[in-house]
Amino acid sequence: MKTKRYDMIVIGAGPAGLSAAIEAARQGVRPIVFDENARPGGQLFKQIHKFFGSKEHRAKVRGLKIGEELLAEAEKYGVEVMLDAAVIGLYPEKEITVKIDDTVRHYKGDTILVATGAAENMVHFKGWTLPGVIGAGAAQTMMNLHHIQPGKRVFMLGSGNVGLVVGFQLLQAGCEVVGLADAAPHVGGYGVHAAKIARCGVPFYLSHTVIEAVGTEYVTGVTIGQVGPDMRVIPGTEKYFDADTICLAVGLSPMSQLLKQAGCAMEDTKGGPVPLCAADGKTSISGIYAAGDVSGIEEASSAMIKGRMSGAAIAAYLGYADEKIQEERIFELGQQLGTLRQGMFSPENRGKLITKTDEGIGVSMHLLEHGSVADDEIARYPGVTRQAGIHPVIECTQNIPCNPCQDACPKGCIRIGEKITSLPAVDAAKECVGCGMCVASCSGQAIFLIQEDVGPGVGEVTIPYEFLPLPRAGDTGTALGRDGRPVCTATVVKVRSSPAFDHTNLLTIKVPNDMLMKVRFYQTQKGGMGL
Amino acid sequence: MIDIQERLRQIGPLDGAPDDDLLVCRCEEITKGEIRRAIHQGMFTIEELRRYLRCGMGLCQGQTCGRLVKNIVAAELGVSPTEITSATARAPMRPIEMAVLADDGGAAHG
Amino acid sequence: MDKTADVIIVGGGIVGCAAAYYLAKRGISRVTVLEAAKSIGNGGSSRNGGGVRQSGRDIRELPYAMYGIRHLWPALSEELGVDVGYVQKGNLRLGKTPAHLNKLKTLTENARSAGLDVRMVDAKEVQAICPYLSEDVIGASWCPTDGHADPLVTTLGFYKRSLELGVRFYTDAPVKTLRKIKGKIREVILKDGTVLEGENVILAAGYESRFLARTVGVDVPMSRLIDECLVTEAQPPMFDIMLGTAGADFYGHQTAHGSFVFGSDCGYEEVTDMEDPSQLATNSMTLSASCRAIMGYIPALRDAKIVRSWCGWLDNAFDGVPFISRVDEVPGLILACGFTGHGFGTAPAVGLILSQLVAGEEPVVDISALRYDRFTPIR
Repeated sequence: MKTKRYDMIVIGAGPAGLSAAIEAARQGVRPIVFDENARPGGQLFKQIHKFFGSKEHRAKVRGLKIGEELLAEAEKYGVEVMLDAAVIGLYPEKEITVKIDDTVRHYKGDTILVATGAAENMVHFKGWTLPGVIGAGAAQTMMNLHHIQPGKRVFMLGSGNVGLVVGFQLLQAGCEVVGLADAAPHVGGYGVHAAKIARCGVPFYLSHTVIEAVGTEYVTGVTIGQVGPDMRVIPGTEKYFDADTICLAVGLSPMSQLLKQAGCAMEDTKGGPVPLCAADGKTSISGIYAAGDVSGIEEASSAMIKGRMSGAAIAAYLGYADEKIQEERIFELGQQLGTLRQGMFSPENRGKLITKTDEGIGVSMHLLEHGSVADDEIARYPGVTRQAGIHPVIECTQNIPCNPCQDACPKGCIRIGEKITSLPAVDAAKECVGCGMCVASCSGQAIFLIQEDVGPGVGEVTIPYEFLPLPRAGDTGTALGRDGRPVCTATVVKVRSSPAFDHTNLLTIKVPNDMLMKVRFYQTQKGGMGL
Repeated sequence: MIDIQERLRQIGPLDGAPDDDLLVCRCEEITKGEIRRAIHQGMFTIEELRRYLRCGMGLCQGQTCGRLVKNIVAAELGVSPTEITSATARAPMRPIEMAVLADDGGAAHG
Repeated sequence: MDKTADVIIVGGGIVGCAAAYYLAKRGISRVTVLEAAKSIGNGGSSRNGGGVRQSGRDIRELPYAMYGIRHLWPALSEELGVDVGYVQKGNLRLGKTPAHLNKLKTLTENARSAGLDVRMVDAKEVQAICPYLSEDVIGASWCPTDGHADPLVTTLGFYKRSLELGVRFYTDAPVKTLRKIKGKIREVILKDGTVLEGENVILAAGYESRFLARTVGVDVPMSRLIDECLVTEAQPPMFDIMLGTAGADFYGHQTAHGSFVFGSDCGYEEVTDMEDPSQLATNSMTLSASCRAIMGYIPALRDAKIVRSWCGWLDNAFDGVPFISRVDEVPGLILACGFTGHGFGTAPAVGLILSQLVAGEEPVVDISALRYDRFTPIR
């Protein structure tokens, strides 16, 4: 049977797959990438938030923009991408069958890279099969790709980054997020992601699980309850919320089926079956590689690096590039990956309760237990200083690999240093000019500009604001604290938008001086925000 | 080597649980109770449970319920879920119409 | 671990589990079943197309095939305590050419002479029995007492019921060698070194039976061959008969669940070789070839979605019928292998007969044609 043969077949045109194809193509390999979706980019196009990391990791760039850049680079290097092309089998001799329109085509690869990503986990509780119970990723696809509200009143289960980030995007889409729960006692994702939604008034229920999705034909409410250390619900702690949607953000499992069919050695891990892989993605079958979430759940930034590592390895394997040089390249990429895998949320720290930062400062327990830093905890951190005149206040309180704020400031007010997991510090000796670039550049939306004594007894605080419609100068509304509780009335002084801010608007409000270190969000008079 | 009778003795008799009627495999509508009962009848592996009950044989081929079934088996057998081998994966990775599959250019008569 | 048994059965497929059940049922209490894989029924038992048929068989198989359908299958669900999905609504073996029909006629005549209720039907009658069949079908053999069942549940049903009766099962227990003591079969030695002892040893391990029989000096003349199957998603009920073809291009049925299970091939199977047979890799061509074959007979299924394909190894006896027999030169050893891909439907009867062989009873039907030493050189 005649089949077409390629140097390199990539299955999945997400961040890992495209990065691998680009890396290999730069060495002269001619890859072909198949993706079952109508558009490439995998998860990237749903990720409308700004990425973390450092410049080399595309920090402060929105996921969808990174997706566009990746596609452009793929095109530049002549990478062939076939969309609406589902790979339905991976057979002996590295042959694949692909469904294209109403036919099936056979292809063979000298090498195959499986970069098929992961799918959402489910948890089961009474009523979990009711319409209205959806994965957080599914909600994200509906909102960010199809511009459909998943529901009006949403309850989120899961406090990892997915739950927190999607929770925020639900607010941006105009949904009410009635609560967020996690059976674990502490918030699983970044503190800054939690803080973003806490200050919008989303209540956190740690050590809580969903008992029941209530409803007959579809979800009309949710009952949650507190759990003890044995994960059993404590009687009497039940809480009910009216809701039409329950989002589950309870982890992902690799979609490793093609690798299994091919007979790659697999490992049954807590996160699902993953192929046994070397650092460059080489599986137990010579010529078959795996990269991205399919080889272990991380995030898009890691997927892109792992993709490049596989691309480099494949170029060497095929003889298009010198092995030694590729080894160095893989090592270099490995270093980049290592930087991402540091800090409080590094793989080795998984499951551990970190109580002190690298600097020896106490991690905010209120943040871990309730989603926001308490008023009496915030002053501990090197990003929080009191100064005369306008200055940034950085409420980044955990060691995560991220540093775009440092480069954003034209005056050198912000310092992180060589180790990008260090807590950002504000240098009181430098003069802040209030340009707001730091506020806009912080992917965690954790930087504010504070100016005391703008008038008698009043000051101004500038907050990052990513909701529509934008408030206008002269509007009055309510200023909310870090925990989302109303603190005082506030008047809008100005709203600044700029291409340089990349859709993070800077909202400056006027409040009494003694509220400046409390207020971190603004709600319009009607009490709503969003579309 | 697994001594089935000995294992059955170790895990003890099946007692009813309040969530036995919870659906685990959505595609084939298999409940937690059915799975637990089958385990106590000697079905200790994911493959055996799949074949006996059809959990994991539906449209999604276990993508949704696989993890849940594993956890239930692990809980009944008193082991870690990582000790339970997952089911195998086979083509086609997406449900495909016969007419489409038939059109792969492989027929001798073209 | 009790290492002695009245009967050690090597192979936890349907034949082994059925034998265990019928042995336990007649009070032979110390029965041990050894299965190499982690799952019971992991071989052909769980991979076949579910036919429970008499027609289309070599006449040597007819006596026990008919016995099973008359006496064992009807009450099997009740006996095992699980619904094995047995449906006895007949079997059409289809022909599209005169050559096909001649082949079917010969088989039919032979079967009728052995007492089977099977007859040839013309195109019109084929359509009356099953209106979904293609107009290209010009005739068929029709056996109203044939049918189908669920091989997965039947195998596990025999297993479950045997467990209830006290049979000892060991999985992940591959056997390395057999050993005679003082001229009789006695020891079964596992790969991990465990030594078990039994008065009787039944080899019901498919093709692997060959390796083990060789360890006591007996070679079983069979080869190993791949066959593939596929299953569709649930369809509205269309028909409940069993289907096969004279051209052997596909066979299958619609299950109670609504899905269709079919077996087919593309011609590559006889030369299919796997470094690791347990990987059971399907080849890239058979699925599509199967679809073409099926659509050629059942055009209504063109839009039915296929959910999964798989394959299994056939233990292919040199003359196409199994070895069900005592091994005289190894007293105590009994062979039950070489079912050549059509062992499912006859498994209950074979299991019963094996229990009779152990008990020293005359089998319910004559199985002398299935002797282990029947091979004679062609010249």
